[in-house]
Amino acid sequence: MISRILGALAATALTLTATAQTPSAEKQRMIDLGVEFKTARALYDHFKQEANGGKPLDWRSVPDWTGIWTREAQPFFWDPDQTSMTALPTAKLTPEHERLLKEKLDKVGKGIEFDPLSNCEPAGMPRWLVEPFLKEFVVTPLEVYLINEMQNEMRRVYTDGRDHPSEADAYPLWEGDSIGFWNGDKLVIHTSQMRAGQYQRIQPFYTEQVETVEIWQKTDPATMVVDVWAFDPPALREPWYTRQVYKQLSNDDASLRIRYWNCGENQNNAVEKTDTGTSDFSNFTFTDKDDR
Amino acid sequence: MRRALAGVVGLTALLTAQAFAHHSAVMFDDQKEVTVTGVVKEFQYTNPHSWLLVDVKDEKGNVTTWGFEAEGPSTLTRAGIRKSDFAAGTEITITGNPMKDGRPAAAWIRATRGDGKQFDPRAGFAIK
Repeated sequence: MISRILGALAATALTLTATAQTPSAEKQRMIDLGVEFKTARALYDHFKQEANGGKPLDWRSVPDWTGIWTREAQPFFWDPDQTSMTALPTAKLTPEHERLLKEKLDKVGKGIEFDPLSNCEPAGMPRWLVEPFLKEFVVTPLEVYLINEMQNEMRRVYTDGRDHPSEADAYPLWEGDSIGFWNGDKLVIHTSQMRAGQYQRIQPFYTEQVETVEIWQKTDPATMVVDVWAFDPPALREPWYTRQVYKQLSNDDASLRIRYWNCGENQNNAVEKTDTGTSDFSNFTFTDKDDR
Repeated sequence: MRRALAGVVGLTALLTAQAFAHHSAVMFDDQKEVTVTGVVKEFQYTNPHSWLLVDVKDEKGNVTTWGFEAEGPSTLTRAGIRKSDFAAGTEITITGNPMKDGRPAAAWIRATRGDGKQFDPRAGFAIK
């Protein structure tokens, strides 16, 4: 479907244009806040200073983030405010990364698309934030576990006061290294040491220099709001602010459960990158006459 | 031009998270639908995708096994589709977007069981 839409765009000689929608005043304020700081760490330190260093939780003050959650917005776009495939993402991309994105979209429009997830790789951070399917958020006084069902991806956010590893000992990680603090019922997170990747299939790429600052807050019993600033100088001319929203799913009969996700358990799901660079199923078991 | 653009934008509104778990859907032809009637051979209730295998007999009695791909167990559970809904031997009429290369496989859109019960695997993305 996506390739057909982008193909249709190419056929009508339309070009992708910047998202025309003007940010709300509140969103613009958050964008401007990110721009004030040169690095994600500086923004995080600013929030920490505002919170007087934050206040650690104890077991009595742990907020109730239980339940099963999923992202509210459709999965195609990093910014929920992007609702059209005819628009470029809201990110202020560097010329090189705008070129890379347009090159990717041009290929998708021609039916050439391969997602590294097909190799059973995890999405990794920051893409983790926009992956569909189920999520769980487990809060303990000294550590928070943010779990995505897909590929059993669990982020560990250390709120015990530790810092990141030294630069000399840092290396790229699928989920990055996350430290955080509590400002009342808000969890503020700084994540660094991430691997290069893409925000989503038809979204921009990020580099190993990407770092994020997140503020998580449960705003009502069924809504988790996460303000996210992504800093990535090689790819972004300024921090990319977005608001991600997760909704708690009703689960009255307790039938929704997160199970271990084994990407390779069914041969019929094996997908390979073809010679032309697109995706195809490797080999179905059910078309093999010996399997009948 | 404006009408063409509106049409494209309209299409985006109809997008579902089809085949989103771990691969692009480029191998399926989303402009075509194939419908077959047969009996369930096996319901592979697996991640990242489930496969409903259906044996379809032609007029000469030759049997072809078709595979219909859907999302994994949690999304199917949200759509009200349990593994027990499709035991081997269950009669079924099922529709999907077929493979472009002609192999007997499709992205599962909807199904009607022999007892008349209907199933929409893509309803599993609704938030409720």
